[in-house]
Amino acid sequence: MQRRNVLRLGAAALPTASIAVSALALDAPTGPVVLTVFSRLRDGRPGNPVQFDMAMLERLPQTAYSTRTPWYGQACKFSGPLLRDVLSCAGLRGSQLRLEALNAYRVDIPFDDVLQHDVLLARLLDDKPMAVRDKGPLFVIYPFEQHAALRNAVYHSRCVWQLRSIEVS
Amino acid sequence: MHRSAQQEANPVSPLGRPVEGISMSAPPPARAVAARPMVDAAARAQADTDIDTDADAGPQRLSPWFGLTGLLLLATLLAAVFVQARQYTLLNLTVQYQDDYLALSLQQVETEYLRLREQLRRDSNPADSTALQLRYDVFVSRVSLLGGDRTRRLLSNAGDSASTLGDLDGFIRQADLYLGAAPHAPFSPQAASTLLQALEALDTPIHQLMLDATHRVAAQVTERQAQVRNHNQIGLALTAFLVAMVLLFALIMLRQVRSLELRRHRLSRLADELRDARIEAESASDAKSEFLADMSHELRTPLHGLLGMLSLIKDAPRDPRAGDWLLTADESAQHLRRLLDDILDLSKLDAGSLALTPSAVSLVDLLREVRSLLQPSALAKGLTLQVDIDPALPPLALLDGTRVRQVLFNLVTNAIKYSEVGVVTLQCRQLAQDGHDKTPGAGGQAAGRNDRAPGAGGQAPGAAHRQAMVEFSVSDTGIGMDRETVSRLFRRHSRAEDVRAWRQSGTGLGLAISRNLARLMGGEILVRSTLEAGSVFSFHCPLHPVNEAPAPSLAAAPGPVEISEQPARPLQVLVAEDHPVNRLYLAALLARLGHQVKLVDNGLEAVRAMQPEPGTGPDVAAAASPVLASPFDLILMDVHMPVMDGVVASQAIRQLPGPAGQVCIVAITADVFDDTRARCMAAGVVEVVTKPLSLDALRALLVRRFGDAAGLPPSAVAPASEPVTNPAHSLLDRNTVHNVCGLMGSDKAPSLYGSFFTQADDAARRMRVAMRDADPEALRRSAHTVKGAALNLGLPALAAAAALLTNEAGTLAAAPLALAVQRFEELTQASRALCAGEGLLR
Repeated sequence: MQRRNVLRLGAAALPTASIAVSALALDAPTGPVVLTVFSRLRDGRPGNPVQFDMAMLERLPQTAYSTRTPWYGQACKFSGPLLRDVLSCAGLRGSQLRLEALNAYRVDIPFDDVLQHDVLLARLLDDKPMAVRDKGPLFVIYPFEQHAALRNAVYHSRCVWQLRSIEVS
Repeated sequence: MHRSAQQEANPVSPLGRPVEGISMSAPPPARAVAARPMVDAAARAQADTDIDTDADAGPQRLSPWFGLTGLLLLATLLAAVFVQARQYTLLNLTVQYQDDYLALSLQQVETEYLRLREQLRRDSNPADSTALQLRYDVFVSRVSLLGGDRTRRLLSNAGDSASTLGDLDGFIRQADLYLGAAPHAPFSPQAASTLLQALEALDTPIHQLMLDATHRVAAQVTERQAQVRNHNQIGLALTAFLVAMVLLFALIMLRQVRSLELRRHRLSRLADELRDARIEAESASDAKSEFLADMSHELRTPLHGLLGMLSLIKDAPRDPRAGDWLLTADESAQHLRRLLDDILDLSKLDAGSLALTPSAVSLVDLLREVRSLLQPSALAKGLTLQVDIDPALPPLALLDGTRVRQVLFNLVTNAIKYSEVGVVTLQCRQLAQDGHDKTPGAGGQAAGRNDRAPGAGGQAPGAAHRQAMVEFSVSDTGIGMDRETVSRLFRRHSRAEDVRAWRQSGTGLGLAISRNLARLMGGEILVRSTLEAGSVFSFHCPLHPVNEAPAPSLAAAPGPVEISEQPARPLQVLVAEDHPVNRLYLAALLARLGHQVKLVDNGLEAVRAMQPEPGTGPDVAAAASPVLASPFDLILMDVHMPVMDGVVASQAIRQLPGPAGQVCIVAITADVFDDTRARCMAAGVVEVVTKPLSLDALRALLVRRFGDAAGLPPSAVAPASEPVTNPAHSLLDRNTVHNVCGLMGSDKAPSLYGSFFTQADDAARRMRVAMRDADPEALRRSAHTVKGAALNLGLPALAAAAALLTNEAGTLAAAPLALAVQRFEELTQASRALCAGEGLLR
């Protein structure tokens, strides 16, 4: 699995510093895979997926903020890595992301979103891990408190819970 | 506003002042021209002020509009802001609740329910099915959304949603026994079938719940849309109102700006008019100064002539040329008088105080008179004076005969003056009624193509077109004038040839006066002239024919004209005059004309003299029948007198009974004012004549009042003087004495000489006193008073003695001075004796 990742890195030919650094942190998942990140190649075939278990995500730099959302009555604290860190850790770049949830809910978001905003890949809700029935284990959260412009249906629809995979194209 | 109203009102009074100032200082004709624009400007200023006051009232009226519009505008804006804010809030609420999105996610509950049911039906061995576990977890996560506040709010009114939610909770509690985070029991196929049964029972309620939510959201969306639409409508209405307000505001502003602009325009026009008026006033003032300078020069010239001649005569009274010198002096004096008369006329015309006194005048007689008076001077130059009169003219016309005569004299005199050969024609005709007949008659042959005089207007005034006009045209075959001369012609004091001296008897004011008179009569004087060919002056004025039976006499006055038919007899004349010199002068004049004079020195005495007191009347007849005759035929009444003035005295006399109250009273005054004249006429005076009254004027007055005979001097008066060649030494100059007697009348002379000798005796006494007091100046003064009088009365020896004393009083020693005084006294006595011997003293 590690060899394959290294090969993929070589094939991607994107030897940026951040990727190099995060690549060091990239191990094969040891626990259950919670997130699969892959790119869609030009010919339409999916590229090699990068798989994350919760421990891998835990090792990435963690961010936390509180925000109100349409799904909870009050403001909740969300913690987890930034989505852009996850993507750079996976060594993938593109113009668009397709997020997919366990229930096959899908939404496309511009790649710029993760660069412009601190889009969180929340794995803790109020410092507690989220079960699937609690919309876990991963919840994409936009910083709604920071930017009022984000408080609308478009961004709410981009907040995918029970996130399963990310496709970069 | 108050302040500005004052400022608006003020401009009138500053304007008023210049107008008055001009009327006081500017030369009258120019003033008349200059003052009119000033008055107009003032009137316009007044009008403008009125308008301005209106304009001032405008903003006052506008202010509430302004305030109202402003308030409305503000209210509208606030309302707009409120609506916008409401809309913003509404939008925010929408965003916050995201109810429609919530409905979408609720739909997912049903989807997940169906997936879970499918999975449960499909799985043969549910105990270790991760797929079933995932489906269940996802379903639970979805159901948990239904517990949220908003969901509950969304579903609160939807039928039996509460029981459905309870059922859902019951199912989850049941399923959690097997599929929860901590399963209590193994998930047997039996349990699975039980769960499936429970799950299937939820199918209809869940579907109903989703439908309810959907309908509810649809209703909310509709409601919100309605609200937004409503707000939009309000917003639109507000916007429309706002636009209307802004338009109204703009209109008001536009009106304000227009009114300001209008006012600015008016002010600038007023400023222009004031500037023009000032310029005119200044030029009028310049013209006046120029006129004054000219007239001073004109007055000095004859005055110098007069003084020069007098000094020649004074220095050499017995020079054989003295007679010529006297003639020249007289000529100068006459010229001076004409000048002053003209100036007086002009100033009266300019002041507007010259009043016309129209009366029935025979045009034929008028023209005949002009001809008879000017024929001699025409003949003297070898000219023919031809007078034509249109037979169509009415015999009598309502005209101011004196003034018409004055104009015609002037025009004909000028024509004669500037013609060396040929004919001077005075033509009188009636202009056609419609006024279009402007072609000159016989006088027109001399007319060239020259323009009419500028300023003459070239045509009769519009009103005259509808009125009959009489035209007097004077044509000559003289030197004519070029255009420039014609243009200067009517200016005061301009003569075609300045080289002609005043001897030409022109004062330079004649044409200006004539034109002013013509205009005063409602007519005009026009001129056409060709250089070297002659000129035509035409004077026209409105013709008012008199239709009554012609009066027997053409005398202008309504006085006792019938008297002319009475046989000539000396008139009894009462002279009321406070000034002794004037009194004596009038007495002398009247005596010279052969009339009898009584002198009184105030009005009261005049009234007393008129009161019929038996035995004191001037003649026996009057005394015998005081009721039948007036003691006097004529009273010459000075207006200004002490004790009782002429006006009051005239009134008093008119109150007298019988013929005394009907006596002919003629007032004499130096005033030129019309109101004096009016007061006199009101007091019953038949005529007002102006001082000084010349012999000719007095004669004319008497002819006018009492017929031709009254103006003729009795043949006994002024006998041919026998030349007195040998005066008794130098004591008595018989020539002078004769002149004095001629002037004063031989009966008046003794009193004159008597008073002189009384004065001389008095002077001698004062000389003695002065000698005693060693006061040579007093002595000189006394001698001086005698010197002139002695010379005038033909006592040269006495005059010489007085002159010696006058000249040497300050230089002679006491003894020779006493000797000179003594000689003066001796000569006085000698002269007195001689005069007594000559019958010059009573």
